[in-house]
This record gives sequence, C-alpha cells and structure tokens, in this order.
Amino acid sequence: MTIVSAFLVPGSPLPQLRGDVPPWRRLASAMREAGQVLAGSKPDVVLVYSTQWMAVLDQLWINRAKSTGLHVDENWHEFGDLPFDISSDVELAEACVQGCRQGGVHAKGVDYDGFPIDTGTITAATLMGFGTPDLPVVIAANNLYHSPRQTEALGRIASRAADAAGKKVAVVGIGGLSYSMFREPIDPSADHIISEGDDRWNRRILQLIEAGAVDELRSAIPQYASEARVDMGFKHFFWILGALDGRFSSARIHEYSPLYGSGGTIVEFVI
Amino acid sequence: MSGGRILSGMLAPHPPHLVYGENPAQNEPRSEGGWEVLRWAYDHARESIERLKPDVLLVHSPHWITQVGHHFLGVPELSGRSVDPIFSNIFRYDFSLKVDVELAEACCEEGRALGLVTKMMRNPAFRVDYGTIVTLHMVRPQWDIPVVGISANNSPYYLNTGEGLGEMDILGKATREAIRKSGRRAVLLASNTLSHRHFHEEPALPEDMSKEHPERYDSYKWDMRLIDLMRKGKMRETFSLLPQFIDEAFAEVKSGAFTWMHSAMGYPELAGKFYGYGTVIGTGNAVMEWNLEEAGLAALEPALHA
Repeated sequence: MTIVSAFLVPGSPLPQLRGDVPPWRRLASAMREAGQVLAGSKPDVVLVYSTQWMAVLDQLWINRAKSTGLHVDENWHEFGDLPFDISSDVELAEACVQGCRQGGVHAKGVDYDGFPIDTGTITAATLMGFGTPDLPVVIAANNLYHSPRQTEALGRIASRAADAAGKKVAVVGIGGLSYSMFREPIDPSADHIISEGDDRWNRRILQLIEAGAVDELRSAIPQYASEARVDMGFKHFFWILGALDGRFSSARIHEYSPLYGSGGTIVEFVI
Repeated sequence: MSGGRILSGMLAPHPPHLVYGENPAQNEPRSEGGWEVLRWAYDHARESIERLKPDVLLVHSPHWITQVGHHFLGVPELSGRSVDPIFSNIFRYDFSLKVDVELAEACCEEGRALGLVTKMMRNPAFRVDYGTIVTLHMVRPQWDIPVVGISANNSPYYLNTGEGLGEMDILGKATREAIRKSGRRAVLLASNTLSHRHFHEEPALPEDMSKEHPERYDSYKWDMRLIDLMRKGKMRETFSLLPQFIDEAFAEVKSGAFTWMHSAMGYPELAGKFYGYGTVIGTGNAVMEWNLEEAGLAALEPALHA
C-alpha cells in the first residue's frame, strides 16, 4: 500500500515556540508522539499540505532539494525564530506538477533560494521530525481559490504519483479547527476555546473523524466550516482524504487543545 | 517636540509585477518590461517625494496580516532577501531599510491610548512583507528615507467591514497625533489595490501584456467611478460608497490602508492627483496623491482627545 500513515496537525507556531505553556506543551508533545508513529510507519516521503502557504495563481509545489533559512512568524514574532532545514523529494514533486497538468490544473514547481517556507510546515516538520534527508517531503500550496473538492483531488494526484513511483508515503494536513482567536493579549496558561459553540463543533467533528464516518463528515463540514470559521474551510482534511482515496476506518485523537482561542488537534488516521 | 506635518498621502499599490517590470538591481528575476503605464505613474509619486523631502515614509500593508493587534516595525535596520511566497518567480528582492523606531513607538502608544491593541515588532530576523517592500521601492527606490511599517490587523475580515475600518480610522487618528507630536514631516502610503478580482492562472510570460486586462468589466467600472470621485475631491462620497465598492469589487481597500491614510490626513475634501491606472493579473490599481503641503493642509492641530 502506498499510504502508510496519515495525520492532521495544527499549523500554529505556539507549541514549538512556547512549550512552557501547558495547553501548547500538550500539543507539542502530541506532535512529537505522532512523529514517532509516522517514523514507525517507515514511509519514503511525507506529502504535506499547509493552509499557511497560500497561493492565488496556479498550484505550487516545492521542488527545491533543500530549503533552509530562519523564519519569524508575522503574528508571534516576540516568541522567537523558527529555523528550518527541509529536504524535499524533487522527483516526486515534479511528478505531482505533471499529475496536476494532466488533470487540467495549472501547476508549477518552486525552486528558489530564500523561499519563505510557511510557519505551519516548519513547525510540523520540526516537531514531528520529517523533512530530513532520510525522510523528505513533498509540499503543496494552499491555492485560496481551490475548493475542498479540488483540494481532495490534489491529495489524490499526489498519492497516485507516489504510487506510480513505487514510494511509500505518509500524508500530513497542517491546519487548525475552529479558527476564531482572542483579539487581545491573554494569559496563555488560561487559554481556552473562544466559545462553547466552537468547542462543541470541534468535538462533534473529532468524534466523526474518530469513527471514520466519512459520509457524515462530508455532509457536516460545510456547516462546521461556516459556523466555527474553520481554518481555510478544513481543506487540509480534504487533502488527507484525497490521498487516502476517500476513506479511512477510524482515527486516534492524540490531543485537542486551544491555540489562543482557536482549536488545534493531532489526529492519527487508521487506514 | 510638536509641529509635525503630514505632507502628502499616496495610494500606492504593491503588485510585485511592477518591480519585476522595472528590472532594478535589487530584484533577481529579469523581465522584458510590462505594466509600463502603471510603472510610469509611479514616476510622478517619486518626483513628488523628491520635492517634498519628507523625514519619514509610513506604510500600511495588507500583506503583513496580524490577528492580535496592530503591529509596528520596531527594529532600527532590517535587511534580507524577500522572496514572495505567491509570486516567487518574479519577486526575489534584496532589501535594506531603516526604521524610524521612535515614531513607530509613538504611533503604537497613541493607538493604545485610543483603545487599540498595539504591539511593536522587535525581532531583528523578521522578514518584511512584500507589500511594504514593493510600495516603498515604487515611491523611493533609493531607500534613503526612514520608514514606519504598520501591519494590517485582520479586523475588517474577522469582524466586519464597518467595525474593521472603524479600527483603521482610530489607527489613522493615532498616527496623526504621533506625527504631530514628533515634529516629523511625513508622507503616508496606502499600499492598496482597488478592485481585487484576478486571474487564477499565470501566462507563460508574466509580462505578456496581450494577456493583461480587467478581470471583470463591472470591477473596472467600479474603479473608474471611485477614481472619478477622488479626482474631483469628493471624498465624503467616496467613503460613503466604500463598503459597497468593497463588497461588489472585492476591493483590497477593505484591509484598511486607505481608510487609515485618509483618517490620518483628517479626511480632506481635496482632489487627488491621478497619476495612472492599470491592471495587474486583472486587479485594478491606481496611483494617486493627496498633496496636503501644496493645498496648505499639512499642519496638524492637536487632537481633541489630547
């Protein structure tokens, strides 16, 4: 089987930068734990989609062998830097570009020194331990104009490209749940989901994910995305779903915690 | 110190295509040109800044998006390579700028005094957003005037247009008061496109101008309606139409720079000098100036709240 493991993780840098804050530390620990599970599944490459790498023209894929630099988050700059040194599977990334084109999606690779890898990808790669020379990534951008259905198609294109290359892959969708945040400084240790309504929605969706109830998820997510202002309409979930060819049997929720009022979770899909 | 002046405010949109088309030494990619009419419009803005000789340029950019408060660049010197995450094929620019930290801190404090959440950005490794860089390059490619860089808090999108732009109005008033007290001679830059619907696929040659046109005719008509009002100095009517313009033309002025700038200038009913209009990947871009110095409106009175 091409897909050996799949995970949904948050893109906030707070778990990496502020491990001293209990709810954010729990997320960081769970991401490290998920990283160990990912490594144990022995993939050749990790397929990554992060809501925070936004594109508006074409579908972009990183096809640079090594992306290095020092990133500072535009919101959380006071908490420190995010160094990155991320290895990519260029051959597979280019196959994804070709796969998009064959599927009628304008696509191109991105291979530039100094390219600003997004916060979500850096945090997930750092805490989960992928993007190394031994476990490279293929990173897809979030085209803001792509629907969940088109994002699902992208995930499918990527997994089929990996299948054609005979590679075993882990798939990771990076993004949040409910995405309303506090708009004023808070005491981080007292962080909580900003509203009961958002919390209820997050828990309901996580229960459906745990149960592998794909049909119910498909029907509930549009309302969830609207009412809980979900990060990018939950397209990162559809990336995973596409890579899994639209099905998984169940899932394990490693953690669900607040991120400055928004919802963050670490989900391991059982496939 | 007091007696600061706002010399001018400019609508100064930031498509990186304009820098790419110009081929400055700082930008690695080379082009055959393109977007000439819009780039030449910026010549007038450059000449005006040369004449006005401001102490500082203040720029509000929609591509530094913050959720908790309005942020201000607060490091004396920032430099590096800015690779645009969206248009990396055309914008890989080596920048180096000096920040007027004292004025930035004053804007931050005045905003806080008016009830806004504000924050200074003190991380020296911070990557300045491409909106700020493109606007600054297009008005002053010499990079010899200190800068105050201001983030676009996402309140117009997170709350609603009215509440969000209300915050930008307060931010403008805070900026005005900070400039007044500082004694600086300032030029304000609103880094905003007008209509913002755009193509979703890039031509093989980005500067192929045979592919460039308004993405939608109704958006173009909206741009012309607003520009015509601004050319006539009908700013009250412009601002009364702004919410409808934002909704119907998906206008980038929603992000707040335009409101911030006019609020700081005291919403003068002054004819804007129109320097040019052009589309970039289908979006509508106008370069315009409200020259308060020429109009005798540059002096700043103490705010009522002070």
